[in-house]
Amino acid sequence: MSTLWKKFLKNGKVEECPVYDMHAHMGSYCRIYFPYGDFDPVITKNRLDRAGIKLLIFCSHASLFSPDIGNKSNIDVVRKLPDRLRAYCGLNPNYPEIIEKDVSEFEKYKDVFVGFKLLASYHRLPITHPNYAPAWQYADKHGLLVLLHTWGGDQFNGPEQIRIVAEKYPGAKILMGHSCHGEWDKAVQLMKDFPNVYAELCAVVDDRGGLEKFIEGYGSAKIVFGTDWPWFNHHYYIGAVLDSGISDQDAHNIFHLNAEKLLAPFIS
Amino acid sequence: MNLEFFDSNVFIGRPMNGLFGAVSSADELLKEMEKQNIGKAIVWHIFQYEGSPVEGNHILAEQIARSNKLYGCWTILPPQTEEVISKGFFERMKANHIVAINAFPEWHRFILDSVGFGKFLGEVSERKIPLFLTMGRTCISWEALYRLMRDFPNLTCILCDIGIWGVDRWTWPLLEKFPHFYLESSLLSLEEGGVEATVRRFGSEKIVFGTGFPVRYPKAAILQLVHADISEKDKINIASKNLEKILQEEQL
Repeated sequence: MSTLWKKFLKNGKVEECPVYDMHAHMGSYCRIYFPYGDFDPVITKNRLDRAGIKLLIFCSHASLFSPDIGNKSNIDVVRKLPDRLRAYCGLNPNYPEIIEKDVSEFEKYKDVFVGFKLLASYHRLPITHPNYAPAWQYADKHGLLVLLHTWGGDQFNGPEQIRIVAEKYPGAKILMGHSCHGEWDKAVQLMKDFPNVYAELCAVVDDRGGLEKFIEGYGSAKIVFGTDWPWFNHHYYIGAVLDSGISDQDAHNIFHLNAEKLLAPFIS
Repeated sequence: MNLEFFDSNVFIGRPMNGLFGAVSSADELLKEMEKQNIGKAIVWHIFQYEGSPVEGNHILAEQIARSNKLYGCWTILPPQTEEVISKGFFERMKANHIVAINAFPEWHRFILDSVGFGKFLGEVSERKIPLFLTMGRTCISWEALYRLMRDFPNLTCILCDIGIWGVDRWTWPLLEKFPHFYLESSLLSLEEGGVEATVRRFGSEKIVFGTGFPVRYPKAAILQLVHADISEKDKINIASKNLEKILQEEQL
Protein backbone atom coordinates (compact mmCIF):
# COMPACT_ATOMS: atom_id res chain seq x y z
CA MET A 1 0.00 0.00 0.00
CA SER A 2 1.41 3.40 -0.95
CA THR A 3 2.56 5.79 1.71
CA LEU A 4 0.59 8.59 0.14
CA TRP A 5 -2.64 6.58 0.29
CA LYS A 6 -2.19 5.98 4.00
CA LYS A 7 -1.62 9.68 4.59
CA PHE A 8 -4.55 10.84 2.47
CA LEU A 9 -6.78 8.26 4.13
CA LYS A 10 -5.78 9.47 7.58
CA ASN A 11 -5.90 13.22 7.08
CA GLY A 12 -7.61 13.88 3.78
CA LYS A 13 -4.63 15.90 2.63
CA VAL A 14 -0.86 15.60 2.68
CA GLU A 15 1.34 18.61 3.33
CA GLU A 16 4.25 17.39 1.22
CA CYS A 17 1.89 16.49 -1.61
CA PRO A 18 -0.22 19.54 -2.45
CA VAL A 19 -2.74 19.07 -5.22
CA TYR A 20 -3.23 21.38 -8.19
CA ASP A 21 -6.61 21.08 -9.87
CA MET A 22 -5.87 22.13 -13.44
CA HIS A 23 -9.41 21.70 -14.78
CA ALA A 24 -12.23 23.30 -12.86
CA HIS A 25 -15.26 25.52 -13.36
CA MET A 26 -17.24 27.99 -11.28
CA GLY A 27 -20.88 28.96 -10.94
CA SER A 28 -24.15 27.21 -11.71
CA TYR A 29 -25.12 25.47 -14.93
CA CYS A 30 -28.60 24.80 -16.27
CA ARG A 31 -28.33 21.05 -16.83
CA ILE A 32 -27.23 20.04 -13.34
CA TYR A 33 -27.63 20.94 -9.67
CA PHE A 34 -24.35 21.75 -7.92
CA PRO A 35 -24.40 21.70 -4.11
CA TYR A 36 -21.32 23.95 -4.25
CA GLY A 37 -22.03 25.78 -7.48
CA ASP A 38 -22.39 29.31 -6.16
CA PHE A 39 -19.06 30.95 -5.47
CA ASP A 40 -18.47 32.00 -1.89
CA PRO A 41 -14.83 32.64 -0.99
CA VAL A 42 -15.14 31.14 2.49
CA ILE A 43 -16.99 28.00 1.40
CA THR A 44 -14.79 27.49 -1.65
CA LYS A 45 -11.63 27.85 0.44
CA ASN A 46 -13.00 25.35 2.93
CA ARG A 47 -13.72 22.81 0.20
CA LEU A 48 -10.21 23.24 -1.22
CA ASP A 49 -8.61 22.99 2.23
CA ARG A 50 -10.32 19.67 2.99
CA ALA A 51 -8.46 17.89 0.18
CA GLY A 52 -5.28 19.94 0.22
CA ILE A 53 -5.98 21.68 -3.08
CA LYS A 54 -3.28 24.33 -3.27
CA LEU A 55 -4.48 25.98 -6.44
CA LEU A 56 -7.61 25.57 -8.54
CA ILE A 57 -7.50 26.71 -12.15
CA PHE A 58 -11.01 27.23 -13.43
CA CYS A 59 -13.09 28.71 -16.19
CA SER A 60 -16.51 29.92 -15.14
CA HIS A 61 -19.57 28.46 -16.80
CA ALA A 62 -20.80 31.99 -17.43
CA SER A 63 -17.71 32.87 -19.46
CA LEU A 64 -18.24 29.79 -21.63
CA PHE A 65 -22.00 29.94 -22.01
CA SER A 66 -22.84 33.66 -21.95
CA PRO A 67 -21.04 36.07 -24.27
CA ASP A 68 -22.90 38.85 -22.46
CA ILE A 69 -21.21 38.04 -19.16
CA GLY A 70 -17.93 36.75 -20.54
CA ASN A 71 -14.66 36.72 -18.65
CA LYS A 72 -15.67 39.28 -16.06
CA SER A 73 -17.02 36.27 -14.15
CA ASN A 74 -13.51 34.79 -14.02
CA ILE A 75 -11.75 38.02 -13.11
CA ASP A 76 -14.11 38.87 -10.26
CA VAL A 77 -13.88 35.42 -8.66
CA VAL A 78 -10.08 35.05 -8.82
CA ARG A 79 -9.62 38.46 -7.22
CA LYS A 80 -11.80 37.41 -4.28
CA LEU A 81 -9.59 34.38 -3.50
CA PRO A 82 -6.27 35.15 -5.20
CA ASP A 83 -4.11 32.80 -3.13
CA ARG A 84 -6.06 29.73 -4.21
CA LEU A 85 -7.52 30.50 -7.62
CA ARG A 86 -6.43 31.24 -11.15
CA ALA A 87 -8.52 31.14 -14.32
CA TYR A 88 -8.47 30.26 -17.96
CA CYS A 89 -9.82 32.99 -20.20
CA GLY A 90 -12.90 31.38 -21.76
CA LEU A 91 -13.22 31.64 -25.53
CA ASN A 92 -16.38 31.32 -27.63
CA PRO A 93 -15.53 31.14 -31.36
CA ASN A 94 -19.05 32.19 -32.31
CA TYR A 95 -18.09 35.67 -31.12
CA PRO A 96 -14.69 36.30 -32.71
CA GLU A 97 -14.82 40.00 -31.86
CA ILE A 98 -14.91 39.07 -28.16
CA ILE A 99 -11.95 36.74 -28.62
CA GLU A 100 -9.98 39.56 -30.22
CA LYS A 101 -10.86 41.89 -27.35
CA ASP A 102 -10.00 39.29 -24.70
CA VAL A 103 -6.66 38.56 -26.35
CA SER A 104 -5.81 42.26 -26.67
CA GLU A 105 -6.57 42.79 -22.97
CA PHE A 106 -4.93 39.56 -21.71
CA GLU A 107 -1.86 41.41 -20.43
CA LYS A 108 -4.06 43.44 -18.07
CA TYR A 109 -5.07 40.33 -16.19
CA LYS A 110 -1.79 38.61 -15.45
CA ASP A 111 -2.96 38.16 -11.86
CA VAL A 112 -5.99 36.20 -13.09
CA PHE A 113 -5.30 34.18 -16.23
CA VAL A 114 -2.80 31.43 -17.03
CA GLY A 115 -4.13 30.76 -20.52
CA PHE A 116 -7.25 29.97 -22.48
CA LYS A 117 -10.09 27.46 -22.26
CA LEU A 118 -11.79 26.11 -25.40
CA LEU A 119 -15.03 24.15 -25.30
CA ALA A 120 -15.38 23.30 -28.96
CA SER A 121 -17.87 20.43 -28.63
CA TYR A 122 -20.35 22.81 -27.10
CA HIS A 123 -19.57 25.83 -29.30
CA ARG A 124 -19.74 23.62 -32.41
CA LEU A 125 -16.65 24.96 -34.15
CA PRO A 126 -13.47 22.85 -34.25
CA ILE A 127 -10.38 23.99 -32.37
CA THR A 128 -8.71 24.46 -35.78
CA HIS A 129 -11.28 27.08 -36.86
CA PRO A 130 -9.80 30.47 -37.88
CA ASN A 131 -11.93 32.28 -35.30
CA TYR A 132 -9.66 30.91 -32.56
CA ALA A 133 -6.49 31.98 -34.36
CA PRO A 134 -5.75 35.20 -32.44
CA ALA A 135 -5.81 33.25 -29.17
CA TRP A 136 -3.73 30.35 -30.49
CA GLN A 137 -1.13 32.76 -31.87
CA TYR A 138 -0.99 34.65 -28.58
CA ALA A 139 -0.67 31.43 -26.57
CA ASP A 140 2.03 30.20 -28.93
CA LYS A 141 4.03 33.41 -28.60
CA HIS A 142 3.71 33.71 -24.81
CA GLY A 143 3.82 30.05 -23.81
CA LEU A 144 0.33 30.07 -22.32
CA LEU A 145 -1.66 27.04 -21.23
CA VAL A 146 -4.60 26.09 -23.41
CA LEU A 147 -7.10 23.76 -21.76
CA LEU A 148 -9.18 21.88 -24.31
CA HIS A 149 -12.26 19.76 -23.78
CA THR A 150 -11.20 16.66 -25.71
CA TRP A 151 -13.12 13.47 -26.43
CA GLY A 152 -12.39 10.38 -28.46
CA GLY A 153 -13.95 10.45 -31.91
CA ASP A 154 -15.12 14.02 -31.54
CA GLN A 155 -15.11 16.11 -34.73
CA PHE A 156 -14.53 19.39 -32.91
CA ASN A 157 -11.78 18.46 -30.46
CA GLY A 158 -10.77 14.89 -31.08
CA PRO A 159 -7.24 13.52 -31.51
CA GLU A 160 -7.00 14.60 -35.16
CA GLN A 161 -7.80 18.23 -34.39
CA ILE A 162 -5.37 18.25 -31.45
CA ARG A 163 -2.61 16.98 -33.74
CA ILE A 164 -3.13 19.96 -36.08
CA VAL A 165 -2.99 22.68 -33.40
CA ALA A 166 -0.16 21.02 -31.49
CA GLU A 167 1.99 21.08 -34.62
CA LYS A 168 0.98 24.59 -35.66
CA TYR A 169 1.40 26.22 -32.24
CA PRO A 170 4.36 24.48 -30.55
CA GLY A 171 4.78 27.25 -28.00
CA ALA A 172 1.30 26.75 -26.56
CA LYS A 173 1.09 24.21 -23.76
CA ILE A 174 -1.96 22.14 -24.62
CA LEU A 175 -3.77 20.36 -21.82
CA MET A 176 -6.03 17.65 -23.19
CA GLY A 177 -8.98 17.98 -20.84
CA HIS A 178 -10.46 14.46 -20.44
CA SER A 179 -7.50 13.14 -22.49
CA CYS A 180 -9.40 12.18 -25.68
CA HIS A 181 -11.80 10.23 -23.48
CA GLY A 182 -12.02 6.60 -24.54
CA GLU A 183 -9.27 6.86 -27.15
CA TRP A 184 -6.53 6.46 -24.58
CA ASP A 185 -3.96 5.08 -27.05
CA LYS A 186 -4.33 8.18 -29.22
CA ALA A 187 -3.83 10.40 -26.19
CA VAL A 188 -0.61 8.55 -25.40
CA GLN A 189 0.56 8.92 -28.99
CA LEU A 190 -0.11 12.67 -28.91
CA MET A 191 1.99 12.98 -25.75
CA LYS A 192 4.78 11.08 -27.47
CA ASP A 193 4.60 13.08 -30.70
CA PHE A 194 4.36 16.58 -29.25
CA PRO A 195 6.34 17.97 -26.32
CA ASN A 196 3.65 20.61 -25.80
CA VAL A 197 0.75 18.16 -25.27
CA TYR A 198 -0.29 16.99 -21.79
CA ALA A 199 -2.94 14.61 -20.47
CA GLU A 200 -5.47 15.78 -17.90
CA LEU A 201 -7.40 13.30 -15.75
CA CYS A 202 -10.93 14.68 -15.39
CA ALA A 203 -13.36 11.90 -16.39
CA VAL A 204 -10.42 9.59 -17.13
CA VAL A 205 -10.46 8.08 -13.65
CA ASP A 206 -14.23 7.68 -13.49
CA ASP A 207 -13.43 4.16 -14.70
CA ARG A 208 -10.38 1.99 -14.16
CA GLY A 209 -7.90 1.42 -16.97
CA GLY A 210 -7.24 4.76 -18.68
CA LEU A 211 -4.65 6.13 -16.27
CA GLU A 212 -2.93 2.76 -16.20
CA LYS A 213 -2.56 2.98 -20.01
CA PHE A 214 -1.04 6.46 -19.75
CA ILE A 215 1.51 5.32 -17.17
CA GLU A 216 2.40 2.26 -19.18
CA GLY A 217 2.54 4.14 -22.50
CA TYR A 218 4.27 7.35 -21.52
CA GLY A 219 4.87 7.58 -17.78
CA SER A 220 3.66 10.30 -15.45
CA ALA A 221 5.78 13.23 -16.64
CA LYS A 222 3.00 14.84 -18.69
CA ILE A 223 -0.12 14.03 -16.70
CA VAL A 224 -1.91 16.68 -14.66
CA PHE A 225 -4.76 16.34 -12.20
CA GLY A 226 -8.19 17.86 -12.86
CA THR A 227 -11.76 17.33 -11.71
CA ASP A 228 -14.21 19.70 -13.44
CA TRP A 229 -14.94 20.95 -9.90
CA PRO A 230 -17.69 21.73 -8.77
CA TRP A 231 -18.94 18.86 -10.92
CA PHE A 232 -16.77 16.24 -9.25
CA ASN A 233 -15.29 15.64 -5.83
CA HIS A 234 -11.60 16.09 -5.07
CA HIS A 235 -11.26 13.19 -2.63
CA TYR A 236 -13.01 10.86 -5.05
CA TYR A 237 -10.50 11.64 -7.79
CA ILE A 238 -7.50 11.57 -5.46
CA GLY A 239 -8.60 8.14 -4.23
CA ALA A 240 -9.02 6.95 -7.81
CA VAL A 241 -5.52 8.07 -8.81
CA LEU A 242 -4.01 6.39 -5.77
CA ASP A 243 -5.95 3.17 -6.47
CA SER A 244 -4.46 2.82 -9.94
CA GLY A 245 -1.33 1.14 -8.59
CA ILE A 246 1.03 3.98 -9.49
CA SER A 247 4.13 4.73 -7.45
CA ASP A 248 4.27 7.58 -4.97
CA GLN A 249 6.66 9.39 -7.31
CA ASP A 250 4.14 9.15 -10.14
CA ALA A 251 1.46 10.44 -7.80
CA HIS A 252 3.64 13.42 -6.83
CA ASN A 253 4.13 14.17 -10.52
CA ILE A 254 0.41 14.05 -11.22
CA PHE A 255 -0.80 15.90 -8.14
CA HIS A 256 1.68 18.77 -8.11
CA LEU A 257 5.14 18.51 -9.70
CA ASN A 258 3.99 18.63 -13.33
CA ALA A 259 1.56 21.45 -12.61
CA GLU A 260 4.18 23.44 -10.73
CA LYS A 261 6.43 23.33 -13.79
CA LEU A 262 3.62 24.40 -16.10
CA LEU A 263 2.49 27.20 -13.82
CA ALA A 264 5.92 28.52 -12.88
CA PRO A 265 5.85 31.36 -15.44
CA PHE A 266 2.50 32.59 -14.14
CA ILE A 267 2.66 32.15 -10.38
CA SER A 268 5.17 34.20 -8.43
CA MET B 1 -11.61 6.62 11.89
CA ASN B 2 -11.73 3.00 10.84
CA LEU B 3 -14.96 2.37 9.01
CA GLU B 4 -16.25 -1.11 8.25
CA PHE B 5 -17.35 -1.27 4.64
CA PHE B 6 -20.18 -3.38 3.21
CA ASP B 7 -20.08 -3.04 -0.58
CA SER B 8 -23.48 -3.10 -2.27
CA ASN B 9 -22.30 -2.72 -5.86
CA VAL B 10 -19.81 -5.24 -7.18
CA PHE B 11 -19.85 -8.00 -9.78
CA ILE B 12 -17.68 -10.97 -10.62
CA GLY B 13 -17.08 -12.54 -14.01
CA ARG B 14 -15.29 -11.23 -17.07
CA PRO B 15 -17.49 -9.23 -19.48
CA MET B 16 -17.61 -10.49 -23.07
CA ASN B 17 -15.97 -7.35 -24.44
CA GLY B 18 -13.25 -7.21 -21.82
CA LEU B 19 -12.89 -4.94 -18.83
CA PHE B 20 -9.74 -3.71 -17.13
CA GLY B 21 -9.18 -5.50 -13.84
CA ALA B 22 -12.30 -7.67 -13.92
CA VAL B 23 -12.22 -10.64 -11.53
CA SER B 24 -13.37 -14.03 -12.76
CA SER B 25 -14.17 -15.66 -9.43
CA ALA B 26 -15.35 -15.07 -5.90
CA ASP B 27 -11.88 -15.94 -4.62
CA GLU B 28 -10.31 -13.18 -6.70
CA LEU B 29 -12.94 -10.75 -5.48
CA LEU B 30 -12.25 -11.67 -1.87
CA LYS B 31 -8.55 -10.93 -2.40
CA GLU B 32 -9.41 -7.52 -3.81
CA MET B 33 -11.79 -6.83 -0.92
CA GLU B 34 -9.08 -7.72 1.57
CA LYS B 35 -6.69 -5.35 -0.19
CA GLN B 36 -9.29 -2.59 0.00
CA ASN B 37 -10.28 -3.38 3.60
CA ILE B 38 -13.87 -4.09 2.57
CA GLY B 39 -15.44 -6.66 4.89
CA LYS B 40 -18.54 -7.83 3.03
CA ALA B 41 -20.27 -7.43 -0.29
CA ILE B 42 -23.48 -8.13 -2.12
CA VAL B 43 -22.35 -9.55 -5.44
CA TRP B 44 -23.78 -10.62 -8.79
CA HIS B 45 -22.25 -12.25 -11.85
CA ILE B 46 -21.89 -10.36 -15.14
CA PHE B 47 -23.25 -13.40 -17.04
CA GLN B 48 -26.61 -12.77 -15.35
CA TYR B 49 -26.74 -9.60 -17.46
CA GLU B 50 -24.80 -10.39 -20.61
CA GLY B 51 -25.66 -14.03 -21.11
CA SER B 52 -28.40 -15.76 -19.19
CA PRO B 53 -30.04 -14.82 -15.90
CA VAL B 54 -30.94 -18.49 -15.47
CA GLU B 55 -27.41 -19.84 -15.84
CA GLY B 56 -25.78 -16.74 -14.37
CA ASN B 57 -27.82 -17.09 -11.18
CA HIS B 58 -26.61 -20.70 -10.87
CA ILE B 59 -22.98 -19.71 -11.42
CA LEU B 60 -23.25 -16.99 -8.82
CA ALA B 61 -24.70 -19.34 -6.23
CA GLU B 62 -21.87 -21.80 -6.79
CA GLN B 63 -19.24 -19.07 -6.58
CA ILE B 64 -20.38 -17.58 -3.28
CA ALA B 65 -21.28 -20.87 -1.59
CA ARG B 66 -18.03 -21.14 0.37
CA SER B 67 -17.81 -17.54 1.58
CA ASN B 68 -19.45 -15.93 4.56
CA LYS B 69 -18.38 -12.50 3.32
CA LEU B 70 -20.28 -12.58 0.06
CA TYR B 71 -24.04 -12.34 -0.32
CA GLY B 72 -25.73 -13.02 -3.62
CA CYS B 73 -28.04 -11.03 -5.84
CA TRP B 74 -30.11 -12.89 -8.44
CA THR B 75 -31.45 -11.41 -11.64
CA ILE B 76 -35.18 -11.69 -12.23
CA LEU B 77 -37.28 -12.06 -15.38
CA PRO B 78 -41.08 -11.88 -15.74
CA PRO B 79 -42.86 -14.51 -13.58
CA GLN B 80 -45.04 -15.51 -16.52
CA THR B 81 -42.19 -17.32 -18.34
CA GLU B 82 -41.10 -19.10 -15.14
CA GLU B 83 -37.45 -18.90 -16.24
CA VAL B 84 -36.33 -17.53 -12.89
CA ILE B 85 -39.41 -16.82 -10.82
CA SER B 86 -41.42 -19.94 -10.14
CA LYS B 87 -42.85 -21.79 -7.17
CA GLY B 88 -40.36 -21.92 -4.32
CA PHE B 89 -38.30 -18.95 -5.61
CA PHE B 90 -37.88 -17.28 -2.23
CA GLU B 91 -36.98 -20.57 -0.58
CA ARG B 92 -34.30 -21.13 -3.25
CA MET B 93 -32.95 -17.64 -2.62
CA LYS B 94 -32.56 -18.39 1.06
CA ALA B 95 -31.01 -21.80 0.49
CA ASN B 96 -28.41 -20.30 -1.85
CA HIS B 97 -27.39 -17.36 0.34
CA ILE B 98 -29.12 -14.92 -2.04
CA VAL B 99 -30.29 -11.79 -0.21
CA ALA B 100 -31.29 -9.47 -3.04
CA ILE B 101 -32.60 -9.34 -6.60
CA ASN B 102 -31.75 -7.14 -9.52
CA ALA B 103 -33.42 -6.52 -12.87
CA PHE B 104 -32.38 -5.15 -16.25
CA PRO B 105 -35.79 -4.67 -17.88
CA GLU B 106 -34.71 -2.68 -20.94
CA TRP B 107 -31.78 -4.94 -21.81
CA HIS B 108 -33.67 -8.15 -21.08
CA ARG B 109 -36.72 -6.82 -22.93
CA PHE B 110 -39.61 -6.66 -20.51
CA ILE B 111 -41.59 -4.07 -18.56
CA LEU B 112 -41.00 -3.92 -14.82
CA ASP B 113 -44.37 -2.73 -13.57
CA SER B 114 -47.56 -3.92 -11.90
CA VAL B 115 -48.90 -5.53 -15.09
CA GLY B 116 -46.27 -8.25 -15.20
CA PHE B 117 -44.92 -8.14 -11.67
CA GLY B 118 -47.93 -7.12 -9.55
CA LYS B 119 -48.16 -10.18 -7.32
CA PHE B 120 -44.42 -10.85 -7.25
CA LEU B 121 -43.25 -7.34 -6.42
CA GLY B 122 -46.11 -7.05 -3.95
CA GLU B 123 -44.62 -10.00 -2.10
CA VAL B 124 -41.08 -8.64 -2.52
CA SER B 125 -42.28 -5.39 -0.94
CA GLU B 126 -43.89 -7.22 1.96
CA ARG B 127 -40.82 -9.36 2.52
CA LYS B 128 -38.62 -6.25 2.21
CA ILE B 129 -36.30 -7.95 -0.24
CA PRO B 130 -34.01 -5.30 -1.75
CA LEU B 131 -34.33 -4.79 -5.49
CA PHE B 132 -31.17 -3.37 -7.08
CA LEU B 133 -31.52 -1.28 -10.22
CA THR B 134 -28.85 0.60 -12.11
CA MET B 135 -28.96 3.73 -14.22
CA GLY B 136 -26.20 2.21 -16.36
CA ARG B 137 -26.24 -0.86 -18.61
CA THR B 138 -29.41 0.08 -20.51
CA CYS B 139 -31.35 -1.05 -17.45
CA ILE B 140 -34.24 1.34 -16.90
CA SER B 141 -35.26 4.89 -17.73
CA TRP B 142 -36.01 7.49 -15.10
CA GLU B 143 -39.63 7.57 -16.31
CA ALA B 144 -39.95 3.79 -15.89
CA LEU B 145 -38.32 3.97 -12.46
CA TYR B 146 -40.80 6.64 -11.37
CA ARG B 147 -43.69 4.45 -12.63
CA LEU B 148 -42.31 1.41 -10.79
CA MET B 149 -42.06 3.28 -7.50
CA ARG B 150 -45.56 4.70 -7.98
CA ASP B 151 -46.83 1.13 -8.53
CA PHE B 152 -44.95 -0.24 -5.52
CA PRO B 153 -44.46 2.61 -3.04
CA ASN B 154 -43.23 0.30 -0.28
CA LEU B 155 -40.66 -1.47 -2.44
CA THR B 156 -37.14 -1.63 -1.01
CA CYS B 157 -35.22 -0.31 -4.00
CA ILE B 158 -31.50 0.50 -4.13
CA LEU B 159 -30.49 2.56 -7.14
CA CYS B 160 -26.89 1.96 -8.26
CA ASP B 161 -24.55 3.73 -10.67
CA ILE B 162 -26.80 6.77 -10.48
CA GLY B 163 -24.96 8.73 -13.17
CA ILE B 164 -21.65 10.46 -13.87
CA TRP B 165 -23.29 13.87 -13.86
CA GLY B 166 -25.13 14.67 -10.64
CA VAL B 167 -28.72 13.42 -10.75
CA ASP B 168 -30.24 15.11 -7.68
CA ARG B 169 -33.05 16.56 -9.78
CA TRP B 170 -34.16 13.00 -10.54
CA THR B 171 -33.36 11.24 -7.26
CA TRP B 172 -34.46 13.77 -4.65
CA PRO B 173 -38.19 13.49 -5.52
CA LEU B 174 -37.90 9.70 -5.15
CA LEU B 175 -36.07 10.02 -1.82
CA GLU B 176 -38.70 12.48 -0.64
CA LYS B 177 -41.68 10.34 -1.65
CA PHE B 178 -40.74 6.69 -1.04
CA PRO B 179 -39.60 5.52 2.41
CA HIS B 180 -37.62 2.49 1.22
CA PHE B 181 -35.85 4.05 -1.75
CA TYR B 182 -32.05 4.23 -1.35
CA LEU B 183 -29.04 5.47 -3.31
CA GLU B 184 -25.87 3.44 -3.76
CA SER B 185 -22.94 5.72 -3.06
CA SER B 186 -20.24 5.14 -5.69
CA LEU B 187 -21.37 7.83 -8.12
CA LEU B 188 -23.05 9.98 -5.48
CA SER B 189 -19.54 10.23 -4.02
CA LEU B 190 -18.26 11.40 -7.39
CA GLU B 191 -20.58 14.41 -7.29
CA GLU B 192 -18.95 17.29 -5.42
CA GLY B 193 -21.03 17.71 -2.26
CA GLY B 194 -23.47 15.00 -3.37
CA VAL B 195 -23.26 12.90 -0.23
CA GLU B 196 -23.30 15.90 2.09
CA ALA B 197 -26.30 17.54 0.39
CA THR B 198 -28.28 14.29 0.36
CA VAL B 199 -27.54 13.63 4.04
CA ARG B 200 -28.54 17.17 5.01
CA ARG B 201 -31.80 16.89 3.11
CA PHE B 202 -32.88 13.29 3.69
CA GLY B 203 -30.58 11.83 6.38
CA SER B 204 -27.72 9.37 6.04
CA GLU B 205 -30.14 6.44 6.29
CA LYS B 206 -30.94 6.80 2.59
CA ILE B 207 -27.47 6.00 1.27
CA VAL B 208 -25.72 2.61 1.11
CA PHE B 209 -22.03 2.24 0.35
CA GLY B 210 -20.90 0.86 -3.00
CA THR B 211 -17.72 0.90 -5.03
CA GLY B 212 -18.84 -0.06 -8.52
CA PHE B 213 -15.91 -2.49 -8.69
CA PRO B 214 -14.51 -3.68 -11.06
CA VAL B 215 -15.60 -0.77 -13.27
CA ARG B 216 -14.57 1.90 -10.77
CA TYR B 217 -11.80 2.37 -8.19
CA PRO B 218 -12.86 1.34 -4.65
CA LYS B 219 -10.49 3.82 -3.02
CA ALA B 220 -12.34 6.68 -4.74
CA ALA B 221 -15.61 6.01 -2.90
CA ILE B 222 -13.75 5.11 0.30
CA LEU B 223 -11.68 8.31 0.48
CA GLN B 224 -14.67 10.50 -0.31
CA LEU B 225 -16.80 8.95 2.43
CA VAL B 226 -14.06 8.91 5.06
CA HIS B 227 -13.52 12.66 4.59
CA ALA B 228 -17.08 13.74 3.80
CA ASP B 229 -18.35 16.76 5.73
CA ILE B 230 -20.91 14.71 7.71
CA SER B 231 -20.92 13.23 11.21
CA GLU B 232 -19.10 10.04 12.19
CA LYS B 233 -22.48 8.42 12.83
CA ASP B 234 -23.59 9.28 9.30
CA LYS B 235 -20.42 7.75 7.89
CA ILE B 236 -20.99 4.51 9.82
CA ASN B 237 -24.58 4.38 8.57
CA ILE B 238 -23.49 4.74 4.96
CA ALA B 239 -20.42 2.50 5.13
CA SER B 240 -22.27 -0.56 6.43
CA LYS B 241 -25.03 -0.01 8.96
CA ASN B 242 -27.81 0.92 6.54
CA LEU B 243 -27.26 -2.15 4.40
CA GLU B 244 -27.02 -4.37 7.50
CA LYS B 245 -30.35 -2.96 8.65
CA ILE B 246 -31.99 -3.57 5.28
CA LEU B 247 -30.90 -7.20 5.39
CA GLN B 248 -31.95 -7.61 9.01
CA GLU B 249 -35.46 -6.43 8.17
CA GLU B 250 -35.69 -8.73 5.16
CA GLN B 251 -38.01 -11.75 5.55
CA LEU B 252 -36.97 -14.60 3.33
